[in-house]
Amino acid sequence: MELDNVTRPAGQAQPLSDEDKRFLRELVETNRIEHHGRLSYMDIMFELEHHYGNSLPGPVLGEVARLLGTSPAQLNGFVTFYTMLSTEPRGQHVIRVCTSGPCHVTGAPAILSSLRQLLGVDIDETTSDGMFTLEASSCLGICGVSPALMIDDDAYGNLMPEDLPRILDAKRAGGAR
Amino acid sequence: MIRNQLLICAGGACITSGEKSVKDVLVEELARNGIQDEVQIIETGCMGACDLGPIVVVYPEGTFYQKVNVQNAGLIVNEHLVKGRTVGGLLYTEPTSERKAQTSGDIPFYTRQVKRVLRNCGVIDPLSIEEYIARDGYFALGKALEMTPDEIIKTVQDSGLRGRGGAGFSTGIKWKATKDATGSPKYVVCNGDEGDPGAFMDRSVLEGDPHSVIEAMVIAGFAIGAATGYMYVRAEYPLAIERFEYAIGKAREYGFLGKNILNSGFDFDIEIRIGAGAFVCGEETALLRSIEGKRGTPSIKPPFPAQAGLWGKPTLINNVETYANIAPILINGADWFRSVGTSKSPGTKVFALVGKVQNTGLVEVPMGTTLRELVFDIGGGIRDGKKFKAAQTGGPSGGVITADYLDMPIDFDTVKEIGTIMGSGGLVILDEDNCMVDVAKFYLGFTVDESCGKCTPCREGTRQMYHIMERICDGKGQHSDIERLSKLANVIKDTSLCGLGQTAPNPVLSTIRFFEDEYRAHIEDKKCPAHVCKHLLTYSINPDKCVGCTACARQCLVHAITGEVKKIHVIDQSKCTKCGSCYEICRFSAIRKE
Repeated sequence: MELDNVTRPAGQAQPLSDEDKRFLRELVETNRIEHHGRLSYMDIMFELEHHYGNSLPGPVLGEVARLLGTSPAQLNGFVTFYTMLSTEPRGQHVIRVCTSGPCHVTGAPAILSSLRQLLGVDIDETTSDGMFTLEASSCLGICGVSPALMIDDDAYGNLMPEDLPRILDAKRAGGAR
Repeated sequence: MIRNQLLICAGGACITSGEKSVKDVLVEELARNGIQDEVQIIETGCMGACDLGPIVVVYPEGTFYQKVNVQNAGLIVNEHLVKGRTVGGLLYTEPTSERKAQTSGDIPFYTRQVKRVLRNCGVIDPLSIEEYIARDGYFALGKALEMTPDEIIKTVQDSGLRGRGGAGFSTGIKWKATKDATGSPKYVVCNGDEGDPGAFMDRSVLEGDPHSVIEAMVIAGFAIGAATGYMYVRAEYPLAIERFEYAIGKAREYGFLGKNILNSGFDFDIEIRIGAGAFVCGEETALLRSIEGKRGTPSIKPPFPAQAGLWGKPTLINNVETYANIAPILINGADWFRSVGTSKSPGTKVFALVGKVQNTGLVEVPMGTTLRELVFDIGGGIRDGKKFKAAQTGGPSGGVITADYLDMPIDFDTVKEIGTIMGSGGLVILDEDNCMVDVAKFYLGFTVDESCGKCTPCREGTRQMYHIMERICDGKGQHSDIERLSKLANVIKDTSLCGLGQTAPNPVLSTIRFFEDEYRAHIEDKKCPAHVCKHLLTYSINPDKCVGCTACARQCLVHAITGEVKKIHVIDQSKCTKCGSCYEICRFSAIRKE
């Protein structure tokens, strides 16, 4: 695996460049126009995550709060309420293992422990190569093929621990999004 | 000229089972045989039978091929379409009679269903508005725009439709209250934040028949006097978001959304808002806060959303399945809707049949269908010949229905009598291998995580209950724990503000009610009868079966197993961490789990 290809999540301490500021201003304005003034915060957050390597760096949130006319604390409160958003740096791919009832009774605990072993990380941690972040997810709604997981937007079902290395390898080979 | 149509189920579950690659093979094989212009491939929404996926249905015959994969998909083209021979190996075999089913009409899973909400799922291409229109789509909208708002609301009220999200409140009364409320503008909201673990009917409707929800939202907007609708859907459902967004665009193009809809002078448009992994946002007041760009915390009712909802304005909020019922009611009338179901819960209900049942998937049946019919007739019974133990209903807000109540008709009211709720229709089937204490602990753990933290009894009380459940499962339970749990549960139920807290103790109360003996076994005998709770297990080696292959000793990470080649092995209980890996690896069933 080539570490050079890994996009590093923007660090919390990095100050914003003029280009960042312009990007954020345009993002918020476009959203304001698209939603007739009733801004969709979540759309903004997902676009930010997409742009900043799957996470929401502090300085970015501060600037966005200013543009939205709200306080950084308010916006931070919003962001930390929703488990799919993260202020911590995350890997290139986010693995969400469904830990809901139907998956629990059909083998999700074994899937989760295999992933922990294969990746060498625990839940909410990122592999040292910056490739994967492991997360536990609420119901993915594909209970008919439980246990299931989702990597980015791709879902996988009827999982057995032995299927996991192949799935991870395919994602690794796929490289950056 | 099209002579055949191949319908491929492109529901969420079938996609995970390889639907895309099956489709690629079919496209390739059609081209290789030069019949690509005679055979049309259509990707549909969910066909319901998730465990049989990927599913391919060949029309006009209706031949139902299941568990199709890249290796055998070519046979459908080369045998069925080219040579006219049915591919026997891909047909569904009825387990009891061993008869091969030719069409879905020969499969008990399908024959007992009444498809109203799922009328188009698995039948049409969800991306084609023309196919939706061909199935009477947007006909109800045309009809509604010629009615008065009061006439529409009266029809919905007369139908007796009750909210399918779980609470079962009368939809008609909700519509009337929002219409009568003072304040403007008004809003229409669709709750697509299907968070109940084990329920996925809303996902399937949004993915398989998005226009049915759009049409109903426009009708609702006309009835209550709103010009804006919001579809709130979870980010965990990317495919549903994608297809719904596409459908909105098409509806605008055809003039079913936007200005002056069907020349009626009525304007209405829909926006999508996305949730991001907060279960409590399924609660309506929390969902509205989330749309407003705030933390999704619930607020006290009254005022109800009908009076003060989004941005303080009157707001109608219904769930996806409820909306999907609207168009057929307007087309066929209230009496037609009441022709199935029970008198207090008319119509059908979509259940998500999951867990240890043979046939998993989505099933739509009349309200009042018994659990026995659902699990045994439609679901084909329990997997691997095991015994049915209970069905968990209503997710973390519900409880269990046990074998004693298999013949009880299920509707909104009957299941409440035995301490559970129908909820949004998730039915997680449990067998003898499931520990009820573990299941209750699991659901409780879910609410501990998902409590928004606003009310102390919910935030701290569920945590305390969880600690007690944990110590019971760890073999440290105390004799008074059952009483303590019940007491705490009732305080939480009485003093929490929203539905999440008020129902959070239900899984524990319900399992104590029906499986107190299992709790007692954990607490008094320090045994887990289902052999699930790790700390209450003892692994040992059966000397009669051990052949001394050393596999277990090599597998054991803590070196708790000793023994020489071809000699009987022994587990040192003081070192054993009860990880179970010896049990998994032994090929001679020599490891005992007690």
